[in-house]
Amino acid sequence: MKKVGYFCTLTPKEIIKAAGFTPVRILSSDDSISLANAHIQSYCCSQVRGSLERLLKGELDVEAAVFTRSCDSLMRLADIWERNSNMPVYNIEFPTRIDDKSKRYFIKELFDFKTKLEEWSGKEITFEDLETSIKLYSQLEKLLDNIFNIKPDYELILKTEVEDPEIVIPEANRKLKEYRNLRSNGKKVLVTGSVCPFIDIYRLIEEAGFFIVDDLCSGTRFFKSEVKERELKNMNDAIEFLADKYFLKAPCPTKDYENDRRIKYILKRAEEVDAVIFLLLKFCEPHFFDYPQLKKELESMGKKTLLLEIEFPLASREQLRTRLEAFYEMVMVE
Amino acid sequence: MSKIKKLRSTSKMREIMLGYYMQGKQSEFVSWVTSGAPVEFLYTMDIYPVYPENHGALIGASKIGPHFSQIAENEGFSQDLCSYARCDIGSIIAGTSPVGGLPKPDFLFCCNNICNTVVKWYEVLSRMFKVPLFILDIPFIRKEVKESYIDYVESQLYDFIDFLEKLTGNDFSDTKFREVVSLSTQGVKAYENVLLMGRHKPSPLTCFDAFLNMAPIVCLRGTEVPVDFYMEMYQELEERVKNEISAVDNEESRLLWDNIPVWYELKWLSEFFIDHNTCLVADTYTNAWTGFLNLGKSDPIRNMAETYTFIYLNIGLELMVDAINRLIDTYNIDGVVIHSNRSCKPYSFGQYEIQKMLEVPSVIIEADMTDSRVFSRAQVQTRLEAFLEMLREK
Repeated sequence: MKKVGYFCTLTPKEIIKAAGFTPVRILSSDDSISLANAHIQSYCCSQVRGSLERLLKGELDVEAAVFTRSCDSLMRLADIWERNSNMPVYNIEFPTRIDDKSKRYFIKELFDFKTKLEEWSGKEITFEDLETSIKLYSQLEKLLDNIFNIKPDYELILKTEVEDPEIVIPEANRKLKEYRNLRSNGKKVLVTGSVCPFIDIYRLIEEAGFFIVDDLCSGTRFFKSEVKERELKNMNDAIEFLADKYFLKAPCPTKDYENDRRIKYILKRAEEVDAVIFLLLKFCEPHFFDYPQLKKELESMGKKTLLLEIEFPLASREQLRTRLEAFYEMVMVE
Repeated sequence: MSKIKKLRSTSKMREIMLGYYMQGKQSEFVSWVTSGAPVEFLYTMDIYPVYPENHGALIGASKIGPHFSQIAENEGFSQDLCSYARCDIGSIIAGTSPVGGLPKPDFLFCCNNICNTVVKWYEVLSRMFKVPLFILDIPFIRKEVKESYIDYVESQLYDFIDFLEKLTGNDFSDTKFREVVSLSTQGVKAYENVLLMGRHKPSPLTCFDAFLNMAPIVCLRGTEVPVDFYMEMYQELEERVKNEISAVDNEESRLLWDNIPVWYELKWLSEFFIDHNTCLVADTYTNAWTGFLNLGKSDPIRNMAETYTFIYLNIGLELMVDAINRLIDTYNIDGVVIHSNRSCKPYSFGQYEIQKMLEVPSVIIEADMTDSRVFSRAQVQTRLEAFLEMLREK
């Protein structure tokens, strides 16, 4: 099965899958970045630079790349990518405004994307193809949600990001059974922020004594949507369902929601925890703009917060460990 | 004694902008607005537009960028965020600025056709001031404009009119709107004529003159002010050409500037190039405000939707290169100075690729538009000197 690469969690994987491709999320590797430096400035985030590095090193096994409008860095990466590879590149202009008006526009974008995939695969995507794909992802995402409600499993997410859902579902079922009797222990901490595919960091947080509640791009935001499942009758129905699903995904800071939905969402989630860790990728503007006001709101709720600014490859684990242990001590004093 | 030949227009411009800033204190309705937004809608409704970006530039040019940035940083805003945003947020917290701070907004009008940074920045402002925020969301044109993009933008413009009518309690007048758009078009045309004077060899102006005098076309576009001002500036430049006065004596090389100016080093850079008999005759930044309005279409709202979607920072790299190569031809350019601007990701990322696609040689200098803490004169000077040397040998 041919693979189509994508970057952003707001990419409608269901359509890629329905076209007969395996959607594969492109993430940075933990190697140092060198080749990419000739193509993009060092003040760009290392998710973008690290992904480009992997392309230039020939590590990527994908036939095409899909860029979904989210931040300025990814928007520019699309062209840089196209110039430095032979693969077709496509950009979905996901609206920045999330409301009824933009939904009508987004539906058109989704239809255009479907047409592009049909062009790539050389065959039509039928309603049945898309419906099957939607159901498969719903099934997997429900499992992931149940698992994360007990305990975040980042290894499983990593696998989900690069494998077909039918391959991950049996494993997710096994994990859910395994975790069923698990009880949370330690202080609960909400980890909110960018993408981080390196699971050592979560181990460090847990080893410091915390129990993680997740709000990350490479965690909950990857699979969670508030959309209600419904019966789909035809292609229009299916595409509209996807529009709803992606509009109702756990909010991302690259989008502008009515009534500041993202901030409210995080404050709500923070109610059940003892502390909050901001796990932010250096140079990530969408997250860093929200950070000061969000931090203040959280502190006025009595939550202790810690900012972990990371870059790939991850710097000294020991330093991170020390900071996390010190933070745990602080939270324990409460 | 500076070697820079100052234009009379620059003093006139300072008066105009002083007047503009004063006016804000007496206006009934105030909106803060991004530089790429269709301000024509605000002028139609007699709403005073405040430009935080222009204010950021002013802070940068006054060399107090680090001071205001630091205030924002102390509040937790990262030093890696856009320095215009940091300067303005710092200025709000401090309650001061070179123009005594900006008048408080009744609402915010943010258009993401220049970057997505402004969306986040304006969300922050909206929480600080507790006022409504209208986002005009523009899809990015990597290759081609789609009809669906324009439909989406157009529908938002109608929403915006409703938003303005509700907020002010006044009706949106189509007649007035057409007048404003007409003035806007005239202003843009007059401004373009000024910039085109750079085609003269030797050139009567440098891009530094263009930077210093760009505020009226950004902030007052849609009023009579820029129409008159740029016509007068044009006459001054014509006079210079007639009297054989060039901006740079013994103009040997003609260069193009890419990206936002390094505001706190305008004088140093101007003098550096004068010393090297080099004239920066044009730039991609001020040219972003030219040639983008075209009248004659029957539906002005649709026209605005098209116009503000297809602007320089909202297009893909190939389209940008086409635009730069057109400038290179128009202005007879020998080389390009590319400012890699830490503060402006959409303007800077891709420059390394653009460099390979240009018709002429280029050099990249690392800087920031307002935050002088990341600028090294020595480093930039060495790079520029090597580049000019290379051009001379060609």
